[in-house]
Amino acid sequence: MTRYLIRRLLQALLLLAAVSVLLFALMQAAPGDYLSEQRLAGHMSPEAMQALRAKYGLDQTFAVRYFRWIASLSHGELGYSVSYNEPALQLLLPRVRNTLLLTLPALLISWFIGVPLGVLAASRRGGWLDRIFAAGNGFLLALPDVLLCLIALLIALKTQRFPAGGMSSPDLSDAAATVRMKDLIWHLWLPVAVLVIGALAPIMLHVRSSVAEVMDSTYFRAAEGHGLRPFTLLFRHALPAAANPLISLFGLSIAFLLSTSLVVEVILSWPGLGPMLLEAVMARDVFVVLGSVVFSTLFLVAGNFFADVLLYVFDPRIRVQS
Amino acid sequence: MLGLSIDYLSWRGQRISALRNVSMELPAGKVLGVLGESGSGKSTLSRAILQLLPANAEVSSGSIGFHQDKDLLSLTRQQMRAIRGAGIALISQEPALALNPVLTIGQQISDVLRAHRSVSKQEAMQQTTAMLREVGFPEPDRLLQAYPHQLSGGQRQRAAIAQALICRPDLLIADEPLSALDTITQVEILEVLHKLKDELGLAVIFITQNAWAISGLADELVVMRDGGVVAVGKFEELARSTDEYVRGLIFPEKSFQNQVSKPLQRAEPGSAPLLRVQQLSKKFLQRHLFSGKKFAVQALRGISFEIPEGSTIAIIGRSGSGKSTLARCIAGFEKADEGGVLVHGAPVRGPQPHVQLIFQDAGTALNPSFTAEELISEPMEIAGQGTARERRERVLSLMREVGLDPESARRHAGEFSGGQKQRLALARALATNPALLILDESLSGLDLLLQAKMLKLLLDLQKSHGLSYLHICHDLNFIGLFANEVIVMDEGRVVERVTPAELPSSTQPATRALMDAGSRLHAPGLEAVL
Repeated sequence: MTRYLIRRLLQALLLLAAVSVLLFALMQAAPGDYLSEQRLAGHMSPEAMQALRAKYGLDQTFAVRYFRWIASLSHGELGYSVSYNEPALQLLLPRVRNTLLLTLPALLISWFIGVPLGVLAASRRGGWLDRIFAAGNGFLLALPDVLLCLIALLIALKTQRFPAGGMSSPDLSDAAATVRMKDLIWHLWLPVAVLVIGALAPIMLHVRSSVAEVMDSTYFRAAEGHGLRPFTLLFRHALPAAANPLISLFGLSIAFLLSTSLVVEVILSWPGLGPMLLEAVMARDVFVVLGSVVFSTLFLVAGNFFADVLLYVFDPRIRVQS
Repeated sequence: MLGLSIDYLSWRGQRISALRNVSMELPAGKVLGVLGESGSGKSTLSRAILQLLPANAEVSSGSIGFHQDKDLLSLTRQQMRAIRGAGIALISQEPALALNPVLTIGQQISDVLRAHRSVSKQEAMQQTTAMLREVGFPEPDRLLQAYPHQLSGGQRQRAAIAQALICRPDLLIADEPLSALDTITQVEILEVLHKLKDELGLAVIFITQNAWAISGLADELVVMRDGGVVAVGKFEELARSTDEYVRGLIFPEKSFQNQVSKPLQRAEPGSAPLLRVQQLSKKFLQRHLFSGKKFAVQALRGISFEIPEGSTIAIIGRSGSGKSTLARCIAGFEKADEGGVLVHGAPVRGPQPHVQLIFQDAGTALNPSFTAEELISEPMEIAGQGTARERRERVLSLMREVGLDPESARRHAGEFSGGQKQRLALARALATNPALLILDESLSGLDLLLQAKMLKLLLDLQKSHGLSYLHICHDLNFIGLFANEVIVMDEGRVVERVTPAELPSSTQPATRALMDAGSRLHAPGLEAVL
């Protein structure tokens, strides 16, 4: 177990390092930087530019800049945001927390709903319920996230029951913790709902098809022949046997949620990584862009690592091979 | 069971009749053998009794009575579920596929018990342990935690039997429980079933295509063909039957009786043999079942032999004796750790056109979405032989040779029956004009009648193409009729190499065990050498 986990962890770290180098190189390859953007405004002499470049270390070689960037992590900076005049990490951390606040509940809820519904659809294969689900999934898959966000906004405006954006009401900063908590959950409702609806269809479809495949297998029919209860059959026998591809999908669904949450955060003005990334890209605030993408990668790698651990726990065949 | 008829509705809307007016009766505690070729409706029968028919099946008439009065067909789903496993239990064909790969043996058996009896978890485990001991596991406690992939085929079949019998049903339906096992294991499983039948007073419906295997067990036999019952009687009565179909099932070897094998023509000294295997060794790393320690499995230990051109050599041995590894090494699919393989004096370094391997299960070895023509011409394309037109002509002539209708060249592999798929695999293997054909238990998935027909075909092809065969098998069916010589393998070694006629007088324990099991099962064709 430990050897398998250590190997997977090392692989994950290696992947993260490789992605960071690649990202850094890509950012460098893009023409222009924050300073050249400022120069367009025409206030700066070339000499002053040069001095600023030296000050920020922009005149150094690629390798030196990369290692300085990584080294700055040791004193909690991860580069420096030129537009906010603050270390990038300090800017990013609260945003990361907000994004997690949004995506983690969405991840759990979508799986808690998607798995039983998928199993149900598989067990009623070809029946009217299955067909309704299939039609619903097709509709959901075709629905763009942006449209879902706009619908959410419309609901908020028409019903006046939900906030139209943000993550907390004004003048609650010195209210009791429980009040603030309730307020946060109230603000979470719509964006989480949008994320869940967006993620539900692929989960349901995958659960349905892998459970249906197991239901065609000889061992499932044999278990049926032994008179097991339908619930035991489906959830104790079929689901674990079908879990393998689903666990891999679980890891990947984190990536899917992150990309959707980018859109959701921007439209529903949730102060997560999304809006910050967008601003930073516009302003060529290199280290904030880098940091946001590195954190997204970190979530993704962590999700896949978690999926690997789950796979190990759930599949005896992998446990024995490793 | 009275006048049962079942139709399958095909997706084109046609009705295909699977059972026609089938009636049979089984008193408590008796054994009924159901005999028939593949496609005769045997498995539909077993599924109908348990009401596990696929959705496109329709019972058009008849009734199934169980005990005094119940008609199983009129029961609700709930009532039927209570009977499955508790009143009527099923063990199915493939022990490898009948158990859930991700649940422990203990869980799978105790789940069945807990579905029908209200017992605590602990009690269920105790009863499971006791049941596992009854089916012949000396250390059932350790088995509770084992997963199916950690067990051998025979062990899995025993576990499946334990699972079926844990609720002490009155009727056991055994749907070809032996066909995927080697001869020695077959005898072991038969003995377990025999013992349990007496102990538990079980009635058994034993579905099989090998009449001799159950001749000692069955009180009565029912012979089925095309979904109907064609004969009923005790084994001795059926053996005297003059009906051609019944005789064919009981004496499949009669279909090529005229071709008793001749002793091998020794190659002239000095000429290179077709195949020379020299000191071949191969080991695999595996993990120990319970402790998790790694250990090496020596699959082949210094195997050496030669075979001359135009010969048929059978390699026999139990499952796990290294036969398949040997086949893969000779075909160049696997690299040996030590030693070498020479074909026509040239070392084998990878797959090559003049040595072809036909796999154990043709059904899964052929891509179902390829057409017959694509499948047969693919090896020629890979070897760069002929123009498209020449290849097409060769495909058609090969199909004729192996007994397939050339008209069906454009049909997909998935549409052919099991026996036809095996012929397709054979045509594909012959496409590159090989000198040596390795048959790795290629026939074991077919019923005996089809096996006999395929062997006859192989012998005919041998004459016209000058082929040599390396025929790997785990049973002794027909062995006296086609093999020039027999190589007996055990634990990765060649135990001995004899002619079939010398087999009965062998003193080697491995050979003796195989022969004893073979004669107890009355392997067809074995009598010819006894």
